[in-house]
Amino acid sequence: MSAGPGGHYLVLGAGGLGCPALLGLVSAGAAAITIVDHDVVDASNLQRQVLYTTADVGMAKVDAAKVRLRSRDPRLHVRALRLRLDATNLAPLLAEQPPGTIVLECSDAPDLKFMVNDTCLAGQLPLVVGGVQRWRGQVQAVQRGHACLRCMFEGPPPTELQEPCSLVGVMGAAAGLLGFWMAQLAVALHAGEPVAGTLWAIDTRTLLPQQMRPRPRPDCPACGAARST
Amino acid sequence: MATIRIPTPLRKYTQGKEEVQIAGATVQAVIEALEHSHPGIRERILDEHGKVRRFVNVFVGDEDIRFLENLQTPVAERDEISIIPAIAGG
Repeated sequence: MSAGPGGHYLVLGAGGLGCPALLGLVSAGAAAITIVDHDVVDASNLQRQVLYTTADVGMAKVDAAKVRLRSRDPRLHVRALRLRLDATNLAPLLAEQPPGTIVLECSDAPDLKFMVNDTCLAGQLPLVVGGVQRWRGQVQAVQRGHACLRCMFEGPPPTELQEPCSLVGVMGAAAGLLGFWMAQLAVALHAGEPVAGTLWAIDTRTLLPQQMRPRPRPDCPACGAARST
Repeated sequence: MATIRIPTPLRKYTQGKEEVQIAGATVQAVIEALEHSHPGIRERILDEHGKVRRFVNVFVGDEDIRFLENLQTPVAERDEISIIPAIAGG
């Protein structure tokens, strides 16, 4: 699969953020999308994972998503990868992506978000990383030369302070807003617009966005490693 | 007094308030005063060594305090301080 005029996007996670992000990418005219997720559709997902229906329960998310996206645009190239990402398979997956690929990190795994940040910087793959929980979320476009996720936050919260989505919940509207926002940033990166380095945070109960533009942190290990490659 | 923007996960310490007004000459002093009026919030921002937690960022205005004087960054009367934790769900 090669990047067409509408661009190739690699979407990691086809859940609460991934579903609206995928719809946003297709609506924006993406030429090709690779979707990676290991999970199957559960009935409890349906209030926020808007690509799926009750008929999809039990089906692999990547397969259900592929069917739904192709039904919206039959010309779209979709590659569905049922895979649980970890430290051993992430770098090879990113390395095999065609030039110009934009990565969207939509998983609910804190450690993975930072791992994707580091690996994308090292491989010069532009990235949009997002997070959503309860009513709130944040998005950031990451590109070499600008503040990355690890410049903004030095690392993920320790396990004992993490709040799993399964425990605290995610409002469907919040996931929808943040997922489409991620798609918008990904399309902007593809178009070469200067969106990298800014972090937007929003609470959907107030709808007052916060916009932070941190400078790249001189001692950021991810940016440092990327500069040396 | 400076205005502190409280992120959603910490609002349980501020009775749901999104912003609170706190006086303090430095970010450190503001956080200590915040702890005095809203007990329990300090340890969500600072670790056991008194440093800003790795997954939290603090801004005075638009500036990351790590590029200023960290917790000793001066706070002016009308400054806005934002506490931004990483949100990792998806």
